[in-house]
Amino acid sequence: MKFGGSRDQEESDKWEIQLRKGCLELAILAALRGGKLYGLEILKRLESESDLIVSEGTVYPLLTRLKSLGLLRSEWVESDAGHPRKYYTLTAAGKERAAEMASIWERFSSSMSKLLAPHGKAK
Amino acid sequence: MGAILVQHEQVACPTREGKMMNLGSDAQHRIEAYLTRLRRCLRVLSDEDAREIVGELRSHITDKALATGEATTTGVDTALATLGSPEELASEYLTDALLARAEVSRSPARIIVSLFQWASLSLAGFFVLLASITGYLLGILIIVPTILKPFHPQNAGLWVSRGSDGDLAVSLRLGLGGGAVPVDARDVLGWWFVPVGMVVGCGLVMLTTRFALWCARQYRSSRALPPG
Repeated sequence: MKFGGSRDQEESDKWEIQLRKGCLELAILAALRGGKLYGLEILKRLESESDLIVSEGTVYPLLTRLKSLGLLRSEWVESDAGHPRKYYTLTAAGKERAAEMASIWERFSSSMSKLLAPHGKAK
Repeated sequence: MGAILVQHEQVACPTREGKMMNLGSDAQHRIEAYLTRLRRCLRVLSDEDAREIVGELRSHITDKALATGEATTTGVDTALATLGSPEELASEYLTDALLARAEVSRSPARIIVSLFQWASLSLAGFFVLLASITGYLLGILIIVPTILKPFHPQNAGLWVSRGSDGDLAVSLRLGLGGGAVPVDARDVLGWWFVPVGMVVGCGLVMLTTRFALWCARQYRSSRALPPG
């Protein structure tokens, strides 16, 4: 019985991880909608505003991939700290993709909320 | 070698010296050692891509180390530990590059080359390479006799014969001269061997490509979150 319980927990943990992963690309594009940011700023924003705890070693390769897909553009900017930082901005295609993903997300989450609401009340 | 690499970076990030004022030379040394290892793992990427990646991570590590308030080796070590080993990090960049390249061309040769790079960095990559080589070889082994069948109809194909001990033996013959088909052997598919073999062989090659890309994607997403 105990075994079954921990297995359930494991399954829901796995599900949560998948869910978070699926949102990572949207989260990065959304974070950049406010303007240009460099890698560490994106990471901080994801942590503080989205509760998405992400591995640093994943965000940088993902940024490179989004750039090679033409969704992001990058530029090196000198910083006060004395070293250059790589800033990312959304390209037109990136903005389009972010808007598209956001509308899918909104549709999906509102329909899920509708589905989940009566169940929540019953409990 | 190290000196050449550092020289390269200086071109990408002309104000490296500014950062040196903030970080101790021990801390600097640790960052460069990490980046040199990373750069070595990324040598298959274009020079410009590798330079961009290394420059960006140098900037990240420096920022992180300075943010801890300890511009010392401790701050750098913490920053490096959260990034993971250079090999792990490089695996993520390489599997991404593999997937990106696959969007342009699905040529088995390119996939195998990319897999070799991945295999040199991780055990997962090694097993995917092994399975993919097996898949492609089997596919080719089936395709070759279908091509040779019209030239060696009496030899190439799928043959069934009863061995001297009465056992049923099935053999796939390439049709490249060599051993003669046993007298009692029967050509199972006849001319159907050409279309059937072509479909099965090409199917196997395509499936192997899909499998390799699926594995790369799985690997990529399995590392999206920090462990634990």
